[in-house]
Amino acid sequence: MSDNQRRILNLLAENKISVEEAERLLALTGQPTGSGVGVSDTVPTGKSKPKYIRVLVTPDTGVPENKAERVNVRVPLNIIRAGIKLRSLMPTEAANKVNEALRSKGIDLDVRNIKDEDIEQLISALSELEVDVQDGAQKVRVYVE
Amino acid sequence: MWPPLIMRLRIKNTNHNFGLWLPLFLVWPILLVLGIILGIILLPFLLIAAVIFWHLWWVRPLLFGMPVLFQLVCALRGLKVEIEQNSERFLVHFW
Repeated sequence: MSDNQRRILNLLAENKISVEEAERLLALTGQPTGSGVGVSDTVPTGKSKPKYIRVLVTPDTGVPENKAERVNVRVPLNIIRAGIKLRSLMPTEAANKVNEALRSKGIDLDVRNIKDEDIEQLISALSELEVDVQDGAQKVRVYVE
Repeated sequence: MWPPLIMRLRIKNTNHNFGLWLPLFLVWPILLVLGIILGIILLPFLLIAAVIFWHLWWVRPLLFGMPVLFQLVCALRGLKVEIEQNSERFLVHFW
Protein backbone atom coordinates (compact mmCIF):
# COMPACT_ATOMS: atom_id res chain seq x y z
CA MET A 1 0.00 0.00 0.00
CA SER A 2 1.44 3.37 -0.95
CA ASP A 3 1.75 6.43 1.29
CA ASN A 4 -0.99 8.28 -0.59
CA GLN A 5 -3.42 5.42 -0.11
CA ARG A 6 -2.58 5.15 3.59
CA ARG A 7 -3.11 8.90 3.98
CA ILE A 8 -6.51 8.66 2.27
CA LEU A 9 -7.59 5.82 4.55
CA ASN A 10 -6.44 7.78 7.61
CA LEU A 11 -8.52 10.77 6.52
CA LEU A 12 -11.49 8.45 6.09
CA ALA A 13 -10.93 6.96 9.56
CA GLU A 14 -10.82 10.49 11.03
CA ASN A 15 -14.11 11.30 9.19
CA LYS A 16 -12.45 14.19 7.38
CA ILE A 17 -13.63 12.81 4.02
CA SER A 18 -16.64 10.77 3.01
CA VAL A 19 -16.58 7.23 1.66
CA GLU A 20 -17.32 8.43 -1.88
CA GLU A 21 -14.50 10.95 -1.76
CA ALA A 22 -12.11 8.26 -0.48
CA GLU A 23 -13.11 5.91 -3.26
CA ARG A 24 -12.54 8.62 -5.84
CA LEU A 25 -9.16 9.52 -4.41
CA LEU A 26 -8.10 5.87 -4.26
CA ALA A 27 -9.09 5.42 -7.91
CA LEU A 28 -6.97 8.42 -8.83
CA THR A 29 -3.96 6.94 -7.05
CA GLY A 30 -4.29 3.82 -9.17
CA GLN A 31 -5.79 1.47 -6.62
CA PRO A 32 -8.03 -1.00 -8.46
CA THR A 33 -11.51 -0.72 -7.01
CA GLY A 34 -12.74 -4.09 -8.26
CA SER A 35 -11.40 -7.59 -8.13
CA GLY A 36 -9.43 -9.30 -10.86
CA VAL A 37 -5.75 -9.43 -10.28
CA GLY A 38 -3.76 -8.94 -13.47
CA VAL A 39 -6.69 -7.57 -15.46
CA SER A 40 -5.76 -4.44 -17.36
CA ASP A 41 -8.21 -1.86 -18.63
CA THR A 42 -6.45 -1.80 -21.96
CA VAL A 43 -6.56 -5.54 -22.64
CA PRO A 44 -9.86 -6.74 -24.01
CA THR A 45 -11.10 -9.62 -21.92
CA GLY A 46 -13.54 -12.31 -22.87
CA LYS A 47 -12.69 -11.89 -26.54
CA SER A 48 -13.41 -15.14 -28.30
CA LYS A 49 -10.85 -16.81 -30.53
CA PRO A 50 -11.14 -15.54 -34.10
CA LYS A 51 -12.63 -18.12 -36.44
CA TYR A 52 -13.17 -16.52 -39.84
CA ILE A 53 -11.79 -13.81 -42.07
CA ARG A 54 -14.63 -11.93 -43.77
CA VAL A 55 -14.41 -9.88 -46.91
CA LEU A 56 -17.49 -7.90 -47.78
CA VAL A 57 -17.89 -5.78 -50.87
CA THR A 58 -21.17 -3.93 -51.14
CA PRO A 59 -22.26 -1.23 -53.56
CA ASP A 60 -22.41 2.30 -52.27
CA THR A 61 -25.77 4.03 -52.00
CA GLY A 62 -26.80 5.47 -55.31
CA VAL A 63 -25.22 2.79 -57.45
CA PRO A 64 -27.85 1.30 -59.77
CA GLU A 65 -28.67 -2.35 -59.15
CA ASN A 66 -27.62 -3.47 -62.63
CA LYS A 67 -24.10 -2.17 -61.94
CA ALA A 68 -23.88 -3.33 -58.35
CA GLU A 69 -21.28 -5.91 -57.40
CA ARG A 70 -21.50 -7.83 -54.17
CA VAL A 71 -18.91 -10.13 -52.70
CA ASN A 72 -19.27 -12.04 -49.47
CA VAL A 73 -16.36 -14.27 -48.56
CA ARG A 74 -15.88 -16.10 -45.29
CA VAL A 75 -12.68 -18.07 -44.90
CA PRO A 76 -12.11 -20.24 -41.83
CA LEU A 77 -8.80 -19.52 -40.11
CA ASN A 78 -8.34 -23.26 -39.66
CA ILE A 79 -7.32 -23.32 -43.31
CA ILE A 80 -4.26 -21.26 -42.38
CA ARG A 81 -3.43 -23.67 -39.55
CA ALA A 82 -3.82 -26.71 -41.77
CA GLY A 83 -1.98 -25.08 -44.68
CA ILE A 84 1.04 -24.32 -42.49
CA LYS A 85 1.46 -28.04 -41.89
CA LEU A 86 2.13 -28.42 -45.60
CA ARG A 87 5.45 -26.68 -45.13
CA SER A 88 6.86 -29.85 -43.56
CA LEU A 89 6.15 -31.69 -46.81
CA MET A 90 7.80 -29.10 -48.99
CA PRO A 91 10.91 -30.50 -50.71
CA THR A 92 14.17 -28.82 -49.72
CA GLU A 93 14.80 -27.48 -53.22
CA ALA A 94 11.37 -25.89 -53.39
CA ALA A 95 11.78 -24.36 -49.93
CA ASN A 96 15.15 -22.91 -50.93
CA LYS A 97 13.63 -21.34 -54.03
CA VAL A 98 10.81 -19.85 -51.98
CA ASN A 99 13.29 -18.45 -49.44
CA GLU A 100 15.39 -16.96 -52.25
CA ALA A 101 12.36 -15.31 -53.81
CA LEU A 102 11.34 -13.86 -50.44
CA ARG A 103 14.88 -12.59 -49.80
CA SER A 104 14.97 -10.88 -53.19
CA LYS A 105 11.88 -8.95 -52.08
CA GLY A 106 13.52 -7.96 -48.85
CA ILE A 107 11.78 -10.53 -46.64
CA ASP A 108 14.30 -12.49 -44.57
CA LEU A 109 12.18 -15.48 -43.70
CA ASP A 110 12.79 -19.22 -43.75
CA VAL A 111 9.50 -20.93 -44.55
CA ARG A 112 10.73 -24.16 -42.97
CA ASN A 113 11.17 -22.48 -39.58
CA ILE A 114 7.63 -21.21 -39.21
CA LYS A 115 6.20 -22.76 -36.06
CA ASP A 116 2.61 -23.40 -35.06
CA GLU A 117 2.99 -20.93 -32.16
CA ASP A 118 3.96 -18.19 -34.63
CA ILE A 119 0.79 -18.82 -36.60
CA GLU A 120 -1.33 -18.74 -33.43
CA GLN A 121 0.21 -15.39 -32.53
CA LEU A 122 -0.48 -14.12 -36.03
CA ILE A 123 -4.10 -15.29 -35.85
CA SER A 124 -4.55 -13.66 -32.43
CA ALA A 125 -3.14 -10.42 -33.80
CA LEU A 126 -5.53 -10.68 -36.76
CA SER A 127 -8.45 -10.41 -34.36
CA GLU A 128 -7.77 -6.66 -34.24
CA LEU A 129 -7.71 -6.36 -38.03
CA GLU A 130 -10.36 -4.21 -39.61
CA VAL A 131 -10.14 -2.57 -43.02
CA ASP A 132 -12.81 -0.24 -44.35
CA VAL A 133 -12.44 1.27 -47.82
CA GLN A 134 -15.00 3.38 -49.62
CA ASP A 135 -14.40 4.81 -53.07
CA GLY A 136 -17.83 6.13 -53.97
CA ALA A 137 -18.83 3.07 -55.95
CA GLN A 138 -18.19 0.33 -53.44
CA LYS A 139 -17.60 -0.29 -49.80
CA VAL A 140 -14.99 -2.87 -48.97
CA ARG A 141 -14.74 -4.27 -45.50
CA VAL A 142 -12.24 -6.82 -44.29
CA TYR A 143 -12.40 -8.05 -40.71
CA VAL A 144 -12.06 -11.08 -38.50
CA GLU A 145 -14.84 -12.64 -36.48
CA MET B 1 -12.43 -32.03 -36.17
CA TRP B 2 -14.60 -33.47 -38.88
CA PRO B 3 -15.03 -32.76 -42.58
CA PRO B 4 -17.87 -30.64 -43.97
CA LEU B 5 -21.20 -32.43 -44.14
CA ILE B 6 -22.96 -30.49 -46.88
CA MET B 7 -21.78 -28.48 -49.83
CA ARG B 8 -23.98 -25.98 -51.60
CA LEU B 9 -23.11 -24.79 -55.08
CA ARG B 10 -25.06 -22.25 -57.10
CA ILE B 11 -24.12 -20.81 -60.46
CA LYS B 12 -26.39 -18.42 -62.27
CA ASN B 13 -25.65 -16.48 -65.43
CA THR B 14 -27.36 -15.65 -68.69
CA ASN B 15 -26.79 -19.17 -70.03
CA HIS B 16 -27.05 -21.34 -66.92
CA ASN B 17 -28.99 -21.53 -63.73
CA PHE B 18 -27.56 -24.38 -61.69
CA GLY B 19 -27.97 -25.25 -58.05
CA LEU B 20 -26.62 -28.23 -56.16
CA TRP B 21 -26.86 -29.49 -52.60
CA LEU B 22 -24.26 -32.18 -52.15
CA PRO B 23 -24.62 -34.37 -49.05
CA LEU B 24 -20.95 -34.87 -48.26
CA PHE B 25 -21.91 -36.90 -45.17
CA LEU B 26 -22.86 -39.67 -47.59
CA VAL B 27 -19.72 -39.29 -49.68
CA TRP B 28 -17.15 -39.51 -46.87
CA PRO B 29 -18.12 -43.01 -45.65
CA ILE B 30 -18.01 -44.33 -49.21
CA LEU B 31 -14.56 -42.79 -49.74
CA LEU B 32 -13.43 -44.15 -46.40
CA VAL B 33 -14.48 -47.71 -47.25
CA LEU B 34 -12.88 -47.47 -50.69
CA GLY B 35 -9.72 -46.10 -49.15
CA ILE B 36 -9.51 -48.89 -46.61
CA ILE B 37 -10.04 -51.58 -49.24
CA LEU B 38 -7.49 -50.05 -51.62
CA GLY B 39 -5.08 -49.53 -48.76
CA ILE B 40 -5.23 -53.15 -47.69
CA ILE B 41 -4.77 -54.38 -51.25
CA LEU B 42 -2.04 -51.94 -52.27
CA LEU B 43 -0.19 -51.58 -48.95
CA PRO B 44 2.58 -54.14 -49.66
CA PHE B 45 3.26 -52.63 -53.08
CA LEU B 46 3.20 -49.11 -51.67
CA LEU B 47 5.73 -49.99 -48.98
CA ILE B 48 8.08 -51.61 -51.47
CA ALA B 49 7.77 -48.67 -53.87
CA ALA B 50 8.38 -46.22 -51.03
CA VAL B 51 11.59 -47.99 -50.04
CA ILE B 52 12.83 -48.14 -53.64
CA PHE B 53 11.91 -44.58 -54.60
CA TRP B 54 12.51 -42.87 -51.23
CA HIS B 55 15.20 -40.64 -52.71
CA LEU B 56 12.71 -39.04 -55.10
CA TRP B 57 11.31 -35.72 -53.93
CA TRP B 58 7.62 -36.58 -54.37
CA VAL B 59 7.53 -39.80 -52.33
CA ARG B 60 7.61 -38.21 -48.88
CA PRO B 61 4.84 -35.68 -49.58
CA LEU B 62 2.74 -38.43 -51.13
CA LEU B 63 3.11 -40.70 -48.10
CA PHE B 64 2.82 -38.14 -45.32
CA GLY B 65 0.46 -35.75 -47.08
CA MET B 66 -2.73 -37.70 -46.41
CA PRO B 67 -3.24 -36.55 -42.79
CA VAL B 68 -2.47 -32.97 -43.82
CA LEU B 69 -4.91 -33.24 -46.72
CA PHE B 70 -7.56 -34.51 -44.31
CA GLN B 71 -6.95 -31.53 -42.03
CA LEU B 72 -7.29 -29.19 -44.98
CA VAL B 73 -10.58 -30.77 -45.99
CA CYS B 74 -11.87 -30.50 -42.40
CA ALA B 75 -10.80 -26.84 -42.34
CA LEU B 76 -13.15 -26.17 -45.27
CA ARG B 77 -16.12 -26.24 -42.90
CA GLY B 78 -17.55 -22.76 -42.82
CA LEU B 79 -16.00 -21.62 -46.10
CA LYS B 80 -18.41 -19.42 -48.03
CA VAL B 81 -17.80 -17.56 -51.25
CA GLU B 82 -20.66 -15.56 -52.70
CA ILE B 83 -20.25 -13.25 -55.68
CA GLU B 84 -22.97 -11.27 -57.41
CA GLN B 85 -22.45 -9.12 -60.46
CA ASN B 86 -25.24 -7.85 -62.66
CA SER B 87 -27.45 -10.88 -63.17
CA GLU B 88 -24.67 -13.41 -62.50
CA ARG B 89 -24.31 -15.17 -59.21
CA PHE B 90 -21.86 -17.68 -57.83
CA LEU B 91 -22.11 -19.36 -54.46
CA VAL B 92 -20.17 -22.14 -52.82
CA HIS B 93 -20.71 -22.92 -49.19
CA PHE B 94 -19.44 -25.77 -47.00
CA TRP B 95 -20.96 -26.57 -43.61
